[in-house]
Amino acid sequence: MSQNESTTQNSSVENLLTGISVIELGDEISAAYCTKMMAYLGAEVLKIEKPSIGDSARSVGPFPDDVADIEKSALFLYLNTGKKSITLNLESSSGRKIFESLVEQADLVVENLPPGKMESLGIDYKRLSSINPSIVVTSVSDFGQTGPYKNYKATPLQHYAFGGLMYITGLPEREPLQMKPRLPEYGVAQNAFVASLTALWYKDSTGIGQHVDISTAEYSASILENGLSMYSYTGNKLGRSGNKGYGRAAWGIYPCKDGFVGVIAGPEHRWSAMAELMEEPKLAEEKYTERSGRQIYAEEIEALMEPWLMSHNKQEIFEKAQELGLAFAFVATPEDILNWEHLDNRGYLPEISHPEAGSYKYAGAAFQAVGIEAEWQRAPILGEHNDEVLSPIIENLNMRVEDLKLEETI
Amino acid sequence: MTLALEDIRVVDLSRIWAGPYGTKLLADMGAEIVKIEALDRLDPHRGAVRPQAGTGNYPDGEPGDDPWNRNGWFNSLHQNKYGITLDLSHPQGKDVFRELIAMSDVVIENFRRGVLDKLGFTYEELKKIRPDIVVVSMPAFGNTGVWKDYIQYGIGQEQLAGVDSMGGYSVAEGPIKSGINHGDPITGSHAAGAILAALMYRRRTGKSVLIDLSQLDSSISLMGEHLLDFQMRGQNPTTTGNQHDSFAPQGVFPCLGEDEWVAISVTSDSEWLNLTKAIGFSDLGEDIKYADSSLRKQNESELLSLIGEWTKTRDKFDITSTLQSSGIPCAPVMTNEDIYDDPHYQSRSLMEISDHPSTDIQLLPGVGWKMSKTTSEIRWHAPMLGQHNEFIFGELVGLSSDFIANLIDEGVSGTEPVGA
Repeated sequence: MSQNESTTQNSSVENLLTGISVIELGDEISAAYCTKMMAYLGAEVLKIEKPSIGDSARSVGPFPDDVADIEKSALFLYLNTGKKSITLNLESSSGRKIFESLVEQADLVVENLPPGKMESLGIDYKRLSSINPSIVVTSVSDFGQTGPYKNYKATPLQHYAFGGLMYITGLPEREPLQMKPRLPEYGVAQNAFVASLTALWYKDSTGIGQHVDISTAEYSASILENGLSMYSYTGNKLGRSGNKGYGRAAWGIYPCKDGFVGVIAGPEHRWSAMAELMEEPKLAEEKYTERSGRQIYAEEIEALMEPWLMSHNKQEIFEKAQELGLAFAFVATPEDILNWEHLDNRGYLPEISHPEAGSYKYAGAAFQAVGIEAEWQRAPILGEHNDEVLSPIIENLNMRVEDLKLEETI
Repeated sequence: MTLALEDIRVVDLSRIWAGPYGTKLLADMGAEIVKIEALDRLDPHRGAVRPQAGTGNYPDGEPGDDPWNRNGWFNSLHQNKYGITLDLSHPQGKDVFRELIAMSDVVIENFRRGVLDKLGFTYEELKKIRPDIVVVSMPAFGNTGVWKDYIQYGIGQEQLAGVDSMGGYSVAEGPIKSGINHGDPITGSHAAGAILAALMYRRRTGKSVLIDLSQLDSSISLMGEHLLDFQMRGQNPTTTGNQHDSFAPQGVFPCLGEDEWVAISVTSDSEWLNLTKAIGFSDLGEDIKYADSSLRKQNESELLSLIGEWTKTRDKFDITSTLQSSGIPCAPVMTNEDIYDDPHYQSRSLMEISDHPSTDIQLLPGVGWKMSKTTSEIRWHAPMLGQHNEFIFGELVGLSSDFIANLIDEGVSGTEPVGA
């Protein structure tokens, strides 16, 4: 059997989270990225999806050639590598019984249903902890499980707006701007990973489980650089500064011959390298060296940089600057990233094949435990593991598969 | 007080934002974080030793006599941590560091690649001192690959990860970076997660773990669907400004007041009908020109102007409350001031009181989430430079007071920065 025929972790290597059993009730990103990391690190992740439609990430896309198909959505395929999928209707009493049987055996439940939904289904933390006192339940939501806005609805646009990231993105004279990548949702999923492992660590030490309440809004508001401390210290408001970091020249995004490059001049003792890189001796002048000078003479500096930038390509500028010790970057596209030798060297872009969606290069592990080689497994087909996971439970509960299918429980 | 991670000790050599953000998450959960700085190389977030007055980083813009203890950027990232100073290039500093490693579980560093090796503390050496140590090394581009010696800050990671290629008002106007350096918190959170996962492995196996955390890899991991998108559709995803790829209308609209905005999304036909009712344009809801998402998308710019006419005479919070009660995704575009004053964030204790000897009482970002059975709160303020030298060297490591006095005489440790 090749490694991609099954989503099960069949590697014999003991990984960081081998032996941890996780149930995910996740829709789109904010729970799924958390459990994706766990699956890669060897945990068994059971994803519970709605019968016939599944996780809404399956319907979001993008899709190959723009043809919608629940087994071919890029968002779903990426976020669910290495997980098992079972379908279960939690609105039905037999569905809930099956869910509770799964919880008895699990270490962790990660869910991002709307706040209050777990309770109305009769499977909130209180109920689940009466079945399994050491269970950890991590609830990820847009605004939190408590507070006046807990039931507000949000899309990625509202995440950027309410958390404070939008107001400081864009040009001062224009409207504030979202970013297309859904970073607040990924970010809260990352912190949900940290919070969940914290609770699991404590559970392993004491046998005591608990409930984690974590929100996209608070994640976003807590990463506004020094924005919140600044307001407390001085009452100053953060503003928008377009592409200029900290309002000074040579720290931001500039056009070049084939795209855009990140000129990041760095500390004063490295400034002389700028003149060398850009073959412009005037840049070495004393008055430009200090950071305050880079603010005062921003326009002069930018005029001196422009001819060289506009006659060189982005990756070439990046590499030449780095060779001189300057921390330049460039505005890379997904196409650029997929072709980098550096990532290839690191084995960061594994090719993963899926029986319906096909074979693609995937973004790899956020961090590597050196010497512990994990295998990447594809995302599951909807309900692919129903038989394997549910049959023994259904038998145990004296239920009949035919009945459950008839009443659309699975 | 019950602390979930109180049995974990981390030696923290990380600086600036990424590493300190990661260890803040662990410190808030009770891990004992021992942050090491050198007197001639403070964490850059402490600011210049003699800065100019007037920046927002200092209380009322006043750097004061000890600006390194008064920088809000540093002070909001280091609550609940211990702070010591130690010169790792000095033989005595190395000895103390060894003793500290021997009694710790984790070492985390975000130096340029190779710096810790040159100080004599390779992973192999650290393992000799503490055989089951967990080490997190987080250079910008990782420890392998052709770019491994390149350097980077969070601002560049976001560009290289592809984030900025999809930012901006329109494709024609070019990319716009986000308002923060996302690469830092992304990498910091991944580092905190890596530490806990490695400690769980160590608990089961007794084995040491080395984590190679490339800040670039870490950032690209949040772009997974976009990398697949290019392969599936053969073109790079690009910005759509504040609009959505498929549903409409969606936008950011001007409100009453200067530079005040509200973000509104209509994701379904029923939300569209609700919106038209809520803003008193019911006839639009019946117009077949706007009957479904693709028609509304075609006519989106006229809808955006109509909605903008309605919002511009209204308060962003009132609009939000009106539209949310009609089930429409809507949020005020919050400034740092708005967040500070907001009843929802206040009810969640986003900000907590931090009483600090050199800045007095300030409200700083607290713990990022709630735990039902273990403590999550600010327990003590960010350390003043070298504040915990005596506690860590004396009570924890067990050095004599003469030895500690000698460290200070030799300039290996202390509480005053050296040099400008």
